[in-house]
Amino acid sequence: MTDSSFQDPRSNNTQNTRTLSILVENRFGVLSRIAGLFSARGYNIESLTVAGSSDPGLSCITMVVRCEALLAQQILKQVNKLPNTVEAVDLTDTNCVERELVLVRVHAPEEKRTTLLTEAEIFRARVVTATPENYVFEVTGDSGKVEAFLDVVRPYGIDEMVRTGKVALHRALGAKTSGN
Amino acid sequence: MSAQMNKRHPLAGKRMTGAEMIIQVLAQEGVDTIFGYTGGAILPTYDAIFRYNIEHEANKSEQMQLIVPANEQGAGFMAAGYARASGKVGVFMVTSGPAATNSVTPIRDSMADSVPVVLICGQVARSAIGSDAFQEAPVFNVMSPCAKHVFLVEEPEDLEATVRTAFGIARSGRPGPVVIDVPKDVQNWEGVFKGEGILRFRGYENRMKALAEARLLPEECAEFLNLLKKSERPLICAGGGVISGEAAVHLRQFSEKFQIPVVTTLMGIGSVDTTNELSLHMLGMHGTAYANYAVMDCDFLITIGARFDDRVAGKVQEFAPNARFLAHIDIDAAEIGKVKSVTWSHVGSAREALIDIMQEGKSFKKDFSKWIEHIRGLKKQHILNYDRESEKIQPYHVIECLNEITLGDAIICTGVGQHQMWAAQYFNFKNPRSLLTSGSMGTMGFGLPAAIGAQMAFPDRLVIDFDGDGSMRMNLGELETTTTYELPVKIIVLNNLGDGMVRQWQRLYFGKRFSGTDKSLRRKNFVKTAEADGFEYAVRLNDKAKLKETLQEFISFKGPAFLEVMIDPEADVYPMVGPGMGYQEMMTGDYIVSRTSEEGIFEKTSKPSESF
Ligand SMILES: Cc1ncc(C[n+]2csc(CCOP(=O)(O)OP(=O)(O)O)c2C)c(N)n1
Ligand SMILES: [Mg+2]
Repeated sequence: MTDSSFQDPRSNNTQNTRTLSILVENRFGVLSRIAGLFSARGYNIESLTVAGSSDPGLSCITMVVRCEALLAQQILKQVNKLPNTVEAVDLTDTNCVERELVLVRVHAPEEKRTTLLTEAEIFRARVVTATPENYVFEVTGDSGKVEAFLDVVRPYGIDEMVRTGKVALHRALGAKTSGN
Repeated sequence: MSAQMNKRHPLAGKRMTGAEMIIQVLAQEGVDTIFGYTGGAILPTYDAIFRYNIEHEANKSEQMQLIVPANEQGAGFMAAGYARASGKVGVFMVTSGPAATNSVTPIRDSMADSVPVVLICGQVARSAIGSDAFQEAPVFNVMSPCAKHVFLVEEPEDLEATVRTAFGIARSGRPGPVVIDVPKDVQNWEGVFKGEGILRFRGYENRMKALAEARLLPEECAEFLNLLKKSERPLICAGGGVISGEAAVHLRQFSEKFQIPVVTTLMGIGSVDTTNELSLHMLGMHGTAYANYAVMDCDFLITIGARFDDRVAGKVQEFAPNARFLAHIDIDAAEIGKVKSVTWSHVGSAREALIDIMQEGKSFKKDFSKWIEHIRGLKKQHILNYDRESEKIQPYHVIECLNEITLGDAIICTGVGQHQMWAAQYFNFKNPRSLLTSGSMGTMGFGLPAAIGAQMAFPDRLVIDFDGDGSMRMNLGELETTTTYELPVKIIVLNNLGDGMVRQWQRLYFGKRFSGTDKSLRRKNFVKTAEADGFEYAVRLNDKAKLKETLQEFISFKGPAFLEVMIDPEADVYPMVGPGMGYQEMMTGDYIVSRTSEEGIFEKTSKPSESF
């Protein structure tokens, strides 16, 4: 059902992942209820971030789900029915900025450090700490940039990595397309 | 969101326990009946009911009746039966752990059929939650995906507002069940009663406000009327939303005014008078043949408060194949375009939408008499029928005889199975809210407790539980509840010695291997069971010749009455559109005339309009 025309080049979207932004009341159990609407249909949540919003009573959930646009719409409509939901939208094909932060510990033997640092520079990745064997890099960017950086450092040997999952924000007010 | 409270509550400012606050809010919400079963974690609130009723001894009408079932599932279906029959919120109250998990089925059932109920569950004390305490169950987690909303009261100060809000959520928008999990220490807590206040749900409140204001614009009505003008064969498909939205009166006016025939879903039965000439009864898997043929023939399908469930639509791509236009009115935005994509849609109350269209269409004229004539022909040609000569008692015949007695004016509750479908097909229903049945979940055991709930809501009406032997077994314990409260429910069990509906599928699709469905060797004696539970009228009927007089004496019996009718165990439900099949493949059995493909008088436009 979804074809490549759904992909927005700006979003660097690998096939059929949707970035959903859900504003909810910051109450007990809301997250599990929303996550449940996806798991009940057998859809795996690829990434999930929850944190406060500009409004103290509300939290913003950013979710990346691998599913078709139409299905995401359907699930968002269900999300939009929950009493705790303030607003649920699919940001995938809209004018938004998205970022993810990754911490990655990479093998950095003496002789490779210079090239590694030069390559990291291209991605504005920072070394946040180092040991005689490793560098820990911090890199921030959209999925495309993050993936490209990881591709570059992978040959050096990745020890361990954590990712925050994606967050996304509209560039301008009123640019949202609603879940309805 | 909640009942309007203009004047200050007389008890506002008074100190009381959480348990007492719960009861005060129930009183404020107009609750007259609580169905439920007590236990450790809900004891304080049961005690508060007792004391409340003593305080209101002088005025019985202010008391809250407590109806105690045999099993919490029964309490849930009683509350649901009460709600379905009356349109008011049904209330049930149970203790923690096993009682709460026993309540999951009626909660899910009420969700699936959009029935407003509030369940108050006791929970272990806050300090014990999550410790695998005695009779602790993760109610919030278990109920969350099953209910419209679940509250766990963590702050006793929020208790009062929570109970009020629960009622608001249960009855607003698309109605549904709300669960309140109340830790025992919150019930025992003492604080100041405010007598007002609700919890705020910004997004939900905004959406409800938008729904309430969602009137059709004149242009939108004109668009609808334009489609109607262009069509030659319009058909209304009315669902449960017409009934829960209190739009039955308007639907009847609408259908009369524009001369549009009506098919209903199982949940929509009663939205129009089934004896009306524009009514085609139910569509779908076991719909009447004429309803399904009309769906195949129509060129404009107007769906109101229904959602193209798979038992209705069958093979979606082939559903309503000649419908050039589809209109859909529903209060739930998530239902629009979920199964079928539509030409014209409106999210809002069915009642207002119908009023608006009728208003704009005052001078609308279009002659559909040819189509009506065709419909009349379908109804005559493909009338429901069965083996009238049979020696054995045919279930259809039982209903026809009951129709002569009830005149379509009884509240009929059912179990799930063949008898449920026969009830939907053969009973006459003059009014909305008169067929109470577990439509979406299809929960066996629904009928008897639902009938008890309905009788509590309407003590003077004729309430019949039209049940199957299998379904009756599921909540058999509630027979005793019926006599305990002297409820004049009329229970009729169509005994076909087993799970007839499943046997029908086994006959059709499983080489007649009746795995687990043949109960002919069981030793159950329903009549003795009923007698043991205090039924003064408990009769088994075998003889076809005595059918009419027995039914007459059974219905006219004052008080609870039980009748077991031994029916032809081979009787099947026809018509039948097999699961996942299109209406073209409808089987009509030996006694209902089916039509050959050439007989569909209208040319195929073959323009499927399905989405996913
Ligand atoms: C709680 C539950 N368990 C199982 C089923 C599956 N089921 C559907 S109809 C049916 C047979 C019902 O038997 P009975 O109540 O005697 O009705 P009949 O079809 O014989 O009229 C069964 C087992 C169900 N719907 N609900
Ligand atoms: Mg049976």
